[in-house]
Amino acid sequence: MAEEIRIGVFVCDCGSNIAGYLDVKELAEYAKTLPHVVYVKENLYTCSEGGSNEIKAAIKEQNLNRVVVASCTPRTHEPLFRGTCGEGGLNPFLFEMVNIRDQCSWVHMQERKEGTAKAMDLIRMGVAKAALLEPQEPIQSEINPRAMVMGAGISGMTAALALANRGYEVVLVEKSSETGGLLRSLDRLAPSGIDAASLADRHAEMVGNHPNIRLLTSTTVEEIQGYIGHFNVTTNTKGVRDGFEAGVIIVATGAGVLKPVGLFQYDGEKVINQLELEERLKSETFSPGNVVMIQCAGARNEERKYCSRICCMVAIKNAIALKERNARTGVRILYRDIQAYGTENEALFQKAKELGVLFIKYDPARPPQVQQGTVKVFHDLLGRELSLPQDLVVLSTPLIAGDDNEVISRLLRVSLDENKFFLEGHVKLKPLDFATDGVYLCGNAHYPATVREAISQALGAASRASIPLSKGVMSVEPIVSTLVDEEACRGCGLCVALCPYGALEIVKTEKGRKVRVIPVACKGCGVCAATCYQHALSVNSYTDDQVRKQISAFLNP
Amino acid sequence: MEQVSGKIGDFHVSVRKRARYVNEDLCTGCGSCAEKCPTMAVDVFNAGLGRRKAIYKYFPQGIPSVFTIDAPECRQLGQGKKCGICAKVCQAGAIDYGQKDSIVHLEVGAIILATGYEVFDPSVIPEYAYDRIANVVTALEFERLLSASGPTAGHLDRPSDLELEKEIEEIRKEAKKLDRQIRQLEEKHGRSSASVIEQVAGGADKELRDWAAQAEKLLTMEKSLAELEKRKAAAQPARKLAFIQCVGSRDFRYNRFCSSYCCMHSVKEAMIAFEHDNDVRSTIFCMDLRAVGRGFEEYKLRGGSQAGITYLRGRVAEINEDEARNPVVWYESTTSRQVIHETFDMVILATACIPSSSASKVAELFEVELDENGFFKTDPLAPLNTSRQGIFTCGCAQGPMDIPESVAQASSAAARAAEVVSPARRSA
Amino acid sequence: MQYTTDVRIIRLMCTGRVDPTMIADAFIEGADGLMVVGCHFGDCHYITGNVQARVKVGLAVRLLDYAGLNPARISFSQCSSAEGERFVSLITAFDRSIRELGPLGTGDRLEPPVLKKKLHIARTALGREKLRWVAGKFTEFTTTGNKYGEKFTDHEMWRTLDTIIMDEMATHEILDALQSRPQAVLELARELRLPPPHILKYVLALQRRGLVGLAGVEGLSPVYRVIDQEAATAA
Repeated sequence: MAEEIRIGVFVCDCGSNIAGYLDVKELAEYAKTLPHVVYVKENLYTCSEGGSNEIKAAIKEQNLNRVVVASCTPRTHEPLFRGTCGEGGLNPFLFEMVNIRDQCSWVHMQERKEGTAKAMDLIRMGVAKAALLEPQEPIQSEINPRAMVMGAGISGMTAALALANRGYEVVLVEKSSETGGLLRSLDRLAPSGIDAASLADRHAEMVGNHPNIRLLTSTTVEEIQGYIGHFNVTTNTKGVRDGFEAGVIIVATGAGVLKPVGLFQYDGEKVINQLELEERLKSETFSPGNVVMIQCAGARNEERKYCSRICCMVAIKNAIALKERNARTGVRILYRDIQAYGTENEALFQKAKELGVLFIKYDPARPPQVQQGTVKVFHDLLGRELSLPQDLVVLSTPLIAGDDNEVISRLLRVSLDENKFFLEGHVKLKPLDFATDGVYLCGNAHYPATVREAISQALGAASRASIPLSKGVMSVEPIVSTLVDEEACRGCGLCVALCPYGALEIVKTEKGRKVRVIPVACKGCGVCAATCYQHALSVNSYTDDQVRKQISAFLNP
Repeated sequence: MEQVSGKIGDFHVSVRKRARYVNEDLCTGCGSCAEKCPTMAVDVFNAGLGRRKAIYKYFPQGIPSVFTIDAPECRQLGQGKKCGICAKVCQAGAIDYGQKDSIVHLEVGAIILATGYEVFDPSVIPEYAYDRIANVVTALEFERLLSASGPTAGHLDRPSDLELEKEIEEIRKEAKKLDRQIRQLEEKHGRSSASVIEQVAGGADKELRDWAAQAEKLLTMEKSLAELEKRKAAAQPARKLAFIQCVGSRDFRYNRFCSSYCCMHSVKEAMIAFEHDNDVRSTIFCMDLRAVGRGFEEYKLRGGSQAGITYLRGRVAEINEDEARNPVVWYESTTSRQVIHETFDMVILATACIPSSSASKVAELFEVELDENGFFKTDPLAPLNTSRQGIFTCGCAQGPMDIPESVAQASSAAARAAEVVSPARRSA
Repeated sequence: MQYTTDVRIIRLMCTGRVDPTMIADAFIEGADGLMVVGCHFGDCHYITGNVQARVKVGLAVRLLDYAGLNPARISFSQCSSAEGERFVSLITAFDRSIRELGPLGTGDRLEPPVLKKKLHIARTALGREKLRWVAGKFTEFTTTGNKYGEKFTDHEMWRTLDTIIMDEMATHEILDALQSRPQAVLELARELRLPPPHILKYVLALQRRGLVGLAGVEGLSPVYRVIDQEAATAA
């Protein structure tokens, strides 16, 4: 036989915040008349120590198995009251909070009678729901203290080193045969003047010598199963498959470079891109006569709407390098907007101008024409066409999303943006996390970034990843989705596709394909439950029945 | 911060915790005190555009959710008057007028300087007349006007009209007082003020002269009140907006650097203004429009095609005011090569992000270097490190940046600090 | 900051939890209006919950509208937790519009008893596979496309849902009518106010699914009945 439901209701005065505007005595009297309610108490402040003690005592003395507090907002006080119930020996999820302050007394200060009547309804709804509450146990899952970092460019190596230095084991997976990524193609970094290749070498050496880092080059990730704390990774190294488990994953797979074939007479010889220019700059003797650089080559157009953020600075850096090598080199940069954001970049922009680099604004509607020995451009500010002498044309092309991004996004169940770069969980609050727990991102995989920014992001991603690693155990509130009717589930996967957190998966069982909830990954939004046409899924403490009961308790007491 | 000594892994720091005159442990954040507090003060959070009580929370979502007394504004604490109302209404007994500043000593392994930035004060730029023209505001002030929880609940009421409202309120209050005094006189003497005014015209004693003067004053006040009310009724929300970029940045007179986030901030404000009222049209005056983050360029384009924003390359030379208190913007359009003047309802200045005024003091205290702009100096390859081991910095304290970058950097700085601290933790 | 005392708030973690049947339930229980209030688009605390809610609420609005409810009784609004003033203005405006409509059954297309019956039918349809499946696929079909890579516009998806709404309402009304007693197509057509050929089409479809069968012939008209009460209730 089911246990008798015994509900205790605590009505808070909140000083005069509630009692000043509602008839709290009447509320308490009314609560006594509600089904299953066996105990009612009015408190000056239910949240005070005295109030908490009264709740705890009543749970014991009155054998309460549900507690309802009618007071303020759950945003600030629900955890406190849950804790109080727990201390009183009641499962904390057999607690329901009714907001008669923010949603009642404060917003109906001139309507005592109507406000009190409304508060009665709210308490009745809360009591009705409370009767249907079920105990929940906190969800805990151990975290494997190993991290996988995908990509061994400057971002990946920095992130791997940061984690390894804190004592965590790191598997660093790189698909090409050597580390360093895009750094290998660069000449020098601005404004420090550091040689990019030697920076890459320095990091490669630290990675290679670090006892906590296992570097797998020429390796691709073939499969990733599981969730935060337990990602089962299958790798493929030159045809040999291997596997390991990792607790967290950092995506640092970088970006690709657009080869501007078909743009501005690009031929890789007389018309090249900035990376090819940097290759040539590595030779000390390289010094062309007149150079014209064209910004936004293949970017900020119909095909690729985005601004690649760093190309203006790359152009300025290389222009300065050319001028410093030979002051007589003519360098003209044809631009749309000079994206020299921040302090260092703007200073470099000024320096380039001081060195005699000419900046010429063009209108994308009248793009520059590259011809034999000249570039013709309509100067947007002078309002006339110029013919610029050139021995070399350098195109500033955008970074583009890595060509594996779609594969990786499927493996990890994470999102890409419209340009196929990886999409963070929240643009402002979680810039380095994916929506899926336990997976982080940094560097060009996220969006084009300078080396400085990439390093900063890599350290940040490592910091985020170290949170579950250092805790060792992941603990989440049990207000999560549950498969309440396994029989009904058809394993259609409709819910899996809609889950923003990758917290659902389809598994083969004896009864056929069924959905499985990964509770540690679930945040309890309830999209799956609202979608399932078999009504097989529900959300703890927000079940269909509980919500319906609130509706009917309001309208048909 | 009072004192810092020691070295990486072992810093000793003394911090002064200022008195808030409210016991944090007892305060439930219920707000009864602020409701009953009789003293109004300028609301700094709302950029001075609104008013709040002398006992207050800096903003509604502030953490901890505890009230603070603004001591200089408080009648009891700052003005030596008898009040004590908040202590009377606080049923939690949290008010503590005797609270003193306290010194907290901390032993820490690493330090992160995240002391932020300040906004450039545009009143030093004579041509923008920020301190003379009410309807020229800073981007931050405009942000509060746009905010649904701000002083105008998100309506684009012009500051000149808000001033008008305040003026009306003040005159009305004074007039009411005067009216009461005159009525008392009328009752006492059983005669009308009009007759007194008439009699005084032919000469009378001092009492009657004063009475008449007061009555006449009231009449003029009522007249000007009617005039102001008429103007207030005719007031329209701002619909034609000008945003001026690089106010105090990329300007050799003030700061040479670029403040990084203001281009997108202006685009965002223009977008929100449009969403609030589809009749809003904005012009953004800029040199380069720096839209360099994910989705920024697309957002900017959408602003142009769907939210009534015009991007105009040109530096504004001067702003003056017409009779209707509209700012008139004079500028050269560098693409059409013409000098143009145009009238707007409001002008919003995208002011520079400058080092916080305490930066040099903090730098001295912590013995870290500043860069040539006055931000904490960092290393390009170790972007969170200051010049001193064990002290890191993130966010706008090290240079202008937007929110996502600040948040990312905060995590990075935490990672650096953790590298210092965690071996100590393991061995402990 | 004050608003009407006539509103009761039910807390959910995210508007994504709003099951379309809950919306129907509120009106079956007698609510005069229902607001679903969640985060602003692009700023959902649960990433995409409000995007899904838009579809679910949209579906409920369309179906209940078809069932005779004035769609102005349902509002889907966005408001952040920092926008108290906005919340008040949303509630105040909604309250005003509901007051103008009057209580349930006055400003609506159908009178209370008929409306109530239709709402029950609508609630059944909202709980069933067809509409829920299409609603569940809505964002996929409009963003990445179906498995053949065909993308659909919002407009096309809503139009599809509108067609299914008509089918589902008719199907469940017929089942409901036949469960009370066996009837011929013409009788059904009169009762449900639909053209006989439409009724015939649905009845034949139900017959193919094995839910409805021939009870006999009256004059020249075949009379249909529900074969398996249990299966029909679950259908």
